[in-house]
Amino acid sequence: MAKKILIIEDDTFLQGLASRKLGVEGYEVEVASDSKQAFNNLNKQIPDLILLDLLLPDVDGFEILKEIRENVKWKSVPIIVFSNLSEEGDITKAKALGVTEFMVKANFTLDELAEKIKLLLKK
Amino acid sequence: MNENEKLKKMIELKSDLISISAHQLRTSLSAMKWTFKMLIDKDVGDINPEQEGMLKKSLESSERMVKLVNEMISINHAEDISFKYNFDDIQIRALIEDVLLDFSEESYKKGVKLVFEKPKTKLSLVHIDDEKIRVVIQNLIENSIKYSEKGDKVFISNNQKDNFIEISVKDTGIGIPQNDQEKIFGKFFRASNAKKKEQVGSGLGLYTIKGIVEKHGGKIWFKSNNKGTTFYFTVPLSK
Repeated sequence: MAKKILIIEDDTFLQGLASRKLGVEGYEVEVASDSKQAFNNLNKQIPDLILLDLLLPDVDGFEILKEIRENVKWKSVPIIVFSNLSEEGDITKAKALGVTEFMVKANFTLDELAEKIKLLLKK
Repeated sequence: MNENEKLKKMIELKSDLISISAHQLRTSLSAMKWTFKMLIDKDVGDINPEQEGMLKKSLESSERMVKLVNEMISINHAEDISFKYNFDDIQIRALIEDVLLDFSEESYKKGVKLVFEKPKTKLSLVHIDDEKIRVVIQNLIENSIKYSEKGDKVFISNNQKDNFIEISVKDTGIGIPQNDQEKIFGKFFRASNAKKKEQVGSGLGLYTIKGIVEKHGGKIWFKSNNKGTTFYFTVPLSK
């Protein structure tokens, strides 16, 4: 059965590209543009992996990360923060909140992201 | 607000502006990079060889821009922290080993070997801001790797002399042309052969690290010919 990935990203173009690429790679993709949609989605079904942007229109990605990690249902789902923020402080904060990987969007192409996801889901 | 505070505010404002623009640039560049790569990989349908060639050039070009933005961010960060110095007494060897570890993947990918020539005896502690001196060592090693070829070696050493420790980074790379040697620490300056080899570079790296070394009361200099370059810098021992 296809693995499920939830993409939490408010830039619709980037969201569309990531969703298309991961679809081509055989994943079942759900998308959310803000925290409300994200938690609606998480309550409906637990994904195998979450791709999380940090700058979102309602609450920031750190808040979402914290809430996911505090909830017993979702706390073991691997989360990749995929953001264009890269300050030492952002990375440390995300790690402290229990992120699995921190990737800077502009430093990767989507096939490289897919490669990383494949490795994480194999573990 | 006195003059000093005004200046500090302005620098903060400049730094914020750079951070915000860098983030925006990265977002647009991500969109371009991802699109070009998906088209090249034929994720969206077939393309002909001419289109593929054009897309590959576009991808390379956007990747060069990403490198430039990344460099801008790291220089901005180095300038940002250049106002706050926190001196501590530390063992320089541990710091060098830590930086070398950070470069292990990059040097492996490029096929350049990093060799740390450890001193035979234990050296005295140095009185430095380790975050700033880390930037200096990183910059010198990064340059050495950049201008070396596959199979080359980069030698890093540290030696105690009188009341300071001298650190050197030696490569067998392209060297700095005689005509450019005087200007190499200048702001925005890039050597003519460096520009030819690596199209991307701000010309701010050596300028920034010279400022850091001098703030520690140290010196930075180099010896270079067409067989390679060795950079040296000194940091004071703790009292």
